[in-house]
Amino acid sequence: MTVTSLPPKSAARVRVRVNRLVLYTVLVAVTGLFLGPFGWLVLAGLKSPEELAASPVHWLPDTIQWHNFADAFHLIDFLGYARNSLVIALIYATLVTLSSAWVGFGFARLNAPGKKILFGILLGSMMLPQLITLFPTYLIFAKLGMVDTYWPWVLWGLSAAPYLVFLFRQFFAGLPRELEEAAIIDGAGYIQIFWRIFLPQSWPVLSASFIIAFTWTWGDYIAPQLLLSTDHSTLAVAVMTTYVNGAGAPVANLQAAASVMYVVPILLIFLVAQRGFVAGMSTSGLK
Amino acid sequence: MPSHAGAPPSRRRFLALSAGGAVAGAAALSGCAMQVSSGVSGSGETVTLMINPDDLTPELIKQAQKDLGVKIRTVKYDITKLIAMLTNGNPPDLVRGIGAVDAAYFAARDVAEELDPYFARSSILRLDDLDPVNDLWRYDGRTQGKGPRYGMAKDFSQDSMYWYNTALFDKTGVDYPSETEPVTYEEWLDNAERLVQRKNGQTTVFGGSYNGLGKAILLTSLTAAAGGNLFTDDFSQVDFSSPEARKALGWYIDYCRVRVGPSIIDPDPNTWDGPTYQANRMAMSNCGYWLGGLINTAPKLAEVSRLAPAPVFEGGPRISTCQGGTGLWMPRKARNKDAAWRVFEWFFGEAPAKARASGGWGIPTLKSLRSLMPAQEEHQKQVLKVQEAELKHFSVASFTPYAKWEGLESIFNQIAPAAMRGDMSVDTLARRLNSAMNEQLKRGKEQVG
Repeated sequence: MTVTSLPPKSAARVRVRVNRLVLYTVLVAVTGLFLGPFGWLVLAGLKSPEELAASPVHWLPDTIQWHNFADAFHLIDFLGYARNSLVIALIYATLVTLSSAWVGFGFARLNAPGKKILFGILLGSMMLPQLITLFPTYLIFAKLGMVDTYWPWVLWGLSAAPYLVFLFRQFFAGLPRELEEAAIIDGAGYIQIFWRIFLPQSWPVLSASFIIAFTWTWGDYIAPQLLLSTDHSTLAVAVMTTYVNGAGAPVANLQAAASVMYVVPILLIFLVAQRGFVAGMSTSGLK
Repeated sequence: MPSHAGAPPSRRRFLALSAGGAVAGAAALSGCAMQVSSGVSGSGETVTLMINPDDLTPELIKQAQKDLGVKIRTVKYDITKLIAMLTNGNPPDLVRGIGAVDAAYFAARDVAEELDPYFARSSILRLDDLDPVNDLWRYDGRTQGKGPRYGMAKDFSQDSMYWYNTALFDKTGVDYPSETEPVTYEEWLDNAERLVQRKNGQTTVFGGSYNGLGKAILLTSLTAAAGGNLFTDDFSQVDFSSPEARKALGWYIDYCRVRVGPSIIDPDPNTWDGPTYQANRMAMSNCGYWLGGLINTAPKLAEVSRLAPAPVFEGGPRISTCQGGTGLWMPRKARNKDAAWRVFEWFFGEAPAKARASGGWGIPTLKSLRSLMPAQEEHQKQVLKVQEAELKHFSVASFTPYAKWEGLESIFNQIAPAAMRGDMSVDTLARRLNSAMNEQLKRGKEQVG
C-alpha cells in the first residue's frame, strides 16, 4: 500500500480551515448561548398562556399569537411611557457625557494637591450599591420638591458618573502632551483646550459614553419607580408592573411581547453607533 | 497646576453652552415631568393613591374624575417608597395593603387613620352592609378583628379552599372531593400524591399546590385549622413547638418533601398557579374563589374546574380563613382626607366595586353587591354554591403587628429548605424558626413600644 501525504502547502491550508471551522463553531455556540434568552423572550411573546406553561416545553408556538404584540402595545399607553423613557434617557445621557468628559479631562491633564486621593474616592464610589442610597435619595429630592419631576435626572447628569469619568480619563491621558503644549503656546486656556482640542478628538468615547448612559437610564427601574408617579413613569416600570390580570399576577406572554418591543430602541441605537462604541471602549484602555 | 488663563469669550461660550444644555433639557420639560394619557386632567382636589396597576384601570380613574370632581394621581405600591413618604411626612392619601397582615402592623405604629367617624356618616359604606371580612382591618391595640377600623378590603377569598381539575381526577381515577364536606389535610396530600404525573424525572402535572398567599400567613392559618395559635397571646412571639403549630408545620414540610406541588425547593417557573392550572398541569390549586376570574375567561377550563371547601385537620375545627383581604388604608398624615374618603367610598361602594364583583376575581366586601357575582353558567353556579356554604366557616386568623410578613417569610425561606430536603427534623426546624423569628419580633416590639 502506498501512503500518500499532502504537500506542505495543502496541509497548512487544511489546518487553517480546520482551525477556522473550530473557531466559528465555538463562536456560533457562544452567540447562541448569549442570544438564547432573547430568543426565548421572543418565542414567549408569540405563545398563548397555556403554551407558555406547557410541559414538555413547546419550543415553537403551534399558532403564532401575533396579536400579543398588538395587545401589549394597546393595553398601556406604550408610546407615552416610551416617550417618557426617551426624554429621561436623552437628558441624562447628554448631560452626564459632557460632565464626565469635563471631570475626566481634569483628572487626566491637570495637577492639583489631592488629585490621586480624589480619584480614588471617585472610583470607590462605584462600589457603593445604589440600593444603599435609595432612601436618602428620595428624602433629599422630596425636600427639594423634585419628586415626580425629571429634575433628578438633570442633577444626576450634571454630577458626572464615576465609570464614565474613568473612561474619559483613560482616553484623555493617552492623548499626546504635544497637543496640549502647542495649544498653550498658542495662548489657549484649559477650557479651550478641552473644548476645542480634546473633546473633538474623543468622538469614540463620547459615543460609547452616550450609549452606556442612555442604556443605564432606559433600563433603570428603581429610580423612576421611586421618584415618579404612574403617569410620569417610564417604559421599564410600565413593562414590569402593568401587564397583570385581575388578581395582580403577571400575564407573562404579554409581558414578554412588551419586553421585546422595549429593547428594540436600545438595539437600534447600538447597531447605528456600534462602531463608535467599540472604538471608544478600545481606545480608552478598557477592554 | 499650571496656570494658563483661557480666553474670556471661550470660557463664557463653554459655560453658556453647558448651562444652556442643562437648562434647555430641563426647561423643555416645563420643569416637570411628562404625563402619559391616563385621561386625568383638569382642576379640583388631588388625591394620591399608592396602588397596583390592577386595582384601578385608567378608564375608572377617568370616571372618578367626572363623578367626583377629584383628580386621582397614582403611584405604584412599593414598601420602600411608602416608608420614605411616611418618613418625609408626605404620605399618599390612600395606600394599598393586605388586611390580614398589614392592618395591625400599620395601626400599631400609629401611622394609620381611624376610619370609624367616616364610616359612621357614610351612606355608601353602611356598617350593616359590611362583610365580616372587613374586620381584618380592625385593630384594638392588641387583637386584630376588634376595635377601630383602619381600612377596608376591596374583595376577598377564603384562601384555604382549593380548585381542582376534574379531567385530571378522571385520568387518575381519584374521586372528586365533596362540595360540602371538607377532606382532611392528610387526605388532600394523599390525593395529590396519586394525581401527580412525572416523566423522565420531570413533573409534568402537579398533583396539588398548597402555598397560601405567603408562608407566614399560611402557617398562621394552618395552625388555626389545627386548633391553635401560631403567636403567643400578646403576639410578641411565635411558637412552632406547640402541638398545633408543630402539626401545621409538619404537614407543610411533608407537602414540600413529597414534591407533589410547587415549593421553595421545587419552584414553578410560572411563579404562580394560574398559568400552570390553565395549562392543565395542576390537578389541585390552593387558590380561593378569586382564581375563578381567570378560569371564567377560558370556557374549556371552566368546564372541568370545581371549587372545594378548605381542608381540616383530623380533630381540628372547621374554619376557613381569608389570608388577604387586600384593600386601602388612609395614613394619619394624609393631606386631603375628606377628598380621600370620597375616593374611598367610590372605590369600595361604587363603579370599581361593581366591576370587581361581576369580574369573579373575589367576593365583594359589601353584602349588597353579592348579587353581582358571576352565576350565569352552570360551573359558575356550582362554584357559587360551594362558596356560599363556605362563608359560614369564615374566621379571622390574627397576625402579629410586630413584623412585616415578608420579614418572617424570608426567615422561613432561609431555614426551611433543609427540612424540606429531609436534612433537618421538623422539631429542629421549629426550634430554629422560633429563635430567628422571635428575634425579629422582639426588635419590632421595641420599635412599637
